[in-house]
Amino acid sequence: MFGKKSRKQPKDPLVRKLMDIVGENEVLYLKEDLVAYECDGFTMSKGMPRAVAFVHNAEEVSQIVKLLNREKVPYIARGAGTGLSGGATPLGGEVIISMVRMKRLLHVDLENRKAVVEPGFVNLKLTQSISDRGYYYAPDPSSQYACTIGGNVAENAGGAHCLKYGVTTNHILGLEVVLPNGEIVEIGEEGIPDRPGYDLIGLLTGSEGTLGIITKITCKVLKNPQGKKTVLAYFDEINDASQAVSDIISAGIIPAALEMMDQTAIHGVESGAHPVGHPRDIAAFLLIEVDGIEAGIDDQMNEIVEVCKKNHVREVKVAQSEAERELWWANRKTGFSAMGAISPDYLVQDGVIPRTRLPEVLTKIGEISKKYNLRIANIFHAGDGNLHPLVLYDARVPGEAERAAKAGSECLKVCADAGGSITGEHGVGIEKKEEMRFIFTDEEIEAQTNIRAVFNPEDLLNPGKLFPEPGRCVEVKRAKAQ
Amino acid sequence: MISSDLEGVLPKEQIIHPEGEPHVLGNGGAQIIEVLSEEDISKVLAYANKYEKTVNIIAGGTKRGYGGTLEQADILLSLEKYKGIVEHSVGDLTLTVKAGTTLQEISEELAKSGQRIALDAPWPERATIGGILSANDSGPKRLLHGSGRDLVIGARIVYADGRVIRTGGKTVKNVAGYDMNKLFIGAMGTLGVISEITIKLRPLPKYEGLALLHFPNGDGENIRDFAVQILDSMMEPVTLEVLSPAMSEELMGKNAYTLAIAFEDQEKAVIYQENWVKENKPAAAELTVLHEDEARGWWMRFRHIGPNGHNDDDNEANTQAAFKIGTNNLDVIPAIETAESLASEYNVSVQSHGGAGHGISKVFIQGFPEDIVSFSKALRAKIEEKRGYVVCIHAPYALRKAIDVWGEKPAYFPILEGIKLANDPKRILNRHRFVGGI
Ligand SMILES: Cc1cc2nc3c(=O)[nH]c(=O)nc-3n(C[C@H](O)[C@H](O)[C@H](O)COP(=O)(O)OP(=O)(O)OC[C@H]3O[C@@H](n4cnc5c(N)ncnc54)[C@H](O)[C@@H]3O)c2cc1C
Repeated sequence: MFGKKSRKQPKDPLVRKLMDIVGENEVLYLKEDLVAYECDGFTMSKGMPRAVAFVHNAEEVSQIVKLLNREKVPYIARGAGTGLSGGATPLGGEVIISMVRMKRLLHVDLENRKAVVEPGFVNLKLTQSISDRGYYYAPDPSSQYACTIGGNVAENAGGAHCLKYGVTTNHILGLEVVLPNGEIVEIGEEGIPDRPGYDLIGLLTGSEGTLGIITKITCKVLKNPQGKKTVLAYFDEINDASQAVSDIISAGIIPAALEMMDQTAIHGVESGAHPVGHPRDIAAFLLIEVDGIEAGIDDQMNEIVEVCKKNHVREVKVAQSEAERELWWANRKTGFSAMGAISPDYLVQDGVIPRTRLPEVLTKIGEISKKYNLRIANIFHAGDGNLHPLVLYDARVPGEAERAAKAGSECLKVCADAGGSITGEHGVGIEKKEEMRFIFTDEEIEAQTNIRAVFNPEDLLNPGKLFPEPGRCVEVKRAKAQ
Repeated sequence: MISSDLEGVLPKEQIIHPEGEPHVLGNGGAQIIEVLSEEDISKVLAYANKYEKTVNIIAGGTKRGYGGTLEQADILLSLEKYKGIVEHSVGDLTLTVKAGTTLQEISEELAKSGQRIALDAPWPERATIGGILSANDSGPKRLLHGSGRDLVIGARIVYADGRVIRTGGKTVKNVAGYDMNKLFIGAMGTLGVISEITIKLRPLPKYEGLALLHFPNGDGENIRDFAVQILDSMMEPVTLEVLSPAMSEELMGKNAYTLAIAFEDQEKAVIYQENWVKENKPAAAELTVLHEDEARGWWMRFRHIGPNGHNDDDNEANTQAAFKIGTNNLDVIPAIETAESLASEYNVSVQSHGGAGHGISKVFIQGFPEDIVSFSKALRAKIEEKRGYVVCIHAPYALRKAIDVWGEKPAYFPILEGIKLANDPKRILNRHRFVGGI
């Protein structure tokens, strides 16, 4: 309020060294400044970092990494901190390397359909920067107004339109990375595909900041579709809605987006910032968008409407204007935060299932809700089978947070048992480490940690994330081997 | 296992002792083992790892001439008979299949349910899905559908010590742990034997069209301009493949640069886009349009050009080789022109094609071995000027030593080597087949 705080000299010599690299005003070290970095969007786990350093280029990242290696201090890269699994959350004592000031759009080459950005560049800004020429960046997480493309790469973020266009990994052509030894390397130079060598771009994408710090990204950009049509389909029975999803996919139709919300979720979004006026008595709705060559759109949509009718849809509404379409999407994309209007706290889960198992899995989630006596709202990417059960709870009630966490974990077990996975886009982070055992054996986890060791042998980069503590079997085996 | 003899590991009938000269493409084995199950693969690798025997991996043999400086390993592990569909979940649009199944076999089975794997790699009746993915082969339609890395969602991998490790899963979205699937795609079998693959499917297109635009010779600029124009329009071409005159000649009897633009959509949308091409094409370019069966037939013929591991000629003058070139999307046109002009300079004959929307080209070449070597060096030098790369995807064993198959090692080579050693510490799998001698 009164301009720059007059700063005390930092006592921690490490902080001085960080300041030498990034500048005096670019390091946070006072407790009151650090609290904002205690967690990301997953608030159930918190830890205090030792300091936060804001970097401006790869060279600075490299110097910091080398410094921290010498000092044996663990560190974490952080983007916007919107992650939902604790990926950027300290366990305690890590230096956070904040990427948010590396936020330039470096180069756009529309003829070759690519753009080069710094990691702190916000997702939505990329589309905004090229939309005047009719282009966009396809991965559209609901947090796209805030999250960084660096964070998207680290999490392999998805979004509503990933059903047709793929997730982040399908749109990354090249990366510049600072390896945990401080070396700066370029992978996929010029964004040219299939360069000889193992697919390190594919491996780094989704590695949750445990293999390297990304300092530059070459993204694929796409031309806007010529036409688009968006409909809302209201259902009286949740099973009919999920059956419709499954039938649409089986019929060989791939809509651009196929989203679903159940009644509890609808109550939330209708009390939130962007109410649409959905009937309150429906059991679920589908938000369906098709896009492509205009001449073919009506045929595509007619097939979808037919499928909905077969599944007893109450009403199908077509968006009459771009404004109406945008409102529907705002209503959907702010769905998580809208839960705040009907519950003090909520926990977002992120299971994935084969799409045909939707009806049965939703029923089981309903049973979990009853068992734990907690409401569970469902807002999700139905077309890819990516569920987001939102467990509503009140942290002020003793024991309720723990119950919510258990209910969440049980939802993931149901997904795993249906042949699915514990996370479709939010990552494992701290939150789902133990749940990794629902889908992988100790040996399979070890195959992955062996790869981590190639990049990050000292495990100083984002330690304690992504993998469960070594299982007993593996330990026993190791003991035998020795 | 007490004996160090393979016959204690698998039944005799599955072990072949080849006689005569080693294969002209190398990558053979002193003993050939035909595996019939994942357990077989596992047993053979456990045995080989224990006794430090080198193992080459083969299935359809279409990529036998791709990389590799070992003429013979101790064992040639053949997956050719390890085939079949494990699970086709029609409603989920996913398929789990054994690695030795050919793309053709898969396509025929899926077509019954109106589905497909959206991979148009060459020689589908010989090329197996495991081989296509290990070599990361692809075709023109990757422009819209992506390549192997975009389609695979899970796998079962037999590691060098015989353990079976699953990667990914059966869902189309999944970020649990590292995306280990990616490691094995394009790894040339150096990190493990892919046993089963789970892959995303696409519906068969409702309607297919193909617009073929023939450009008068020497008209690279016009092709480029038109490619830019269509890429900047809202049309949704599935391919934007440039064919060299010799390749067009073979396919259509037209000695001219040709741009093959495919559309797959509702019929109305396909016709609309073909009309767009008609209206916007340069006046000098001649247009042919094919639909449905005719279009499919054309692509099938397209996929049967170039070496396939079984069509090499004994006559030295007809030695064949093939190269994969990666460039910026639009640099595909100058890359193909470069191959043309180098061909006349070095006295070799060349057919080539490349995708102006995805940056991958292939050059098929025939001539005397020493000319092929000179050609390859000149080609690489030219392509690297614009930061592209050249990889030799087919050449006889003897020639591969003279041609630098992979080009320079990347700066991050120690990471690649580290990954290799994490998976295969004794380097038994496809030794020396990959970049930097991995
Ligand atoms: C309301 C809301 C809606 C959401 N909706 C979606 C959705 O639809 N789809 C979806 O996929 N996600 C969604 N998310 C989750 C989140 O936004 C994404 O995971 C996003 O990719 C995180 O980006 P970030 O910049 O906030 O990264 P952070 O949270 O800061 O970091 C995430 C992880 O990435 C690592 N990291 C960050 N930057 C780098 C870098 N430069 N180099 C290496 N590692 C790095 C961190 O260490 C951490 O492990 C949502 C979150 C919220 C709060």
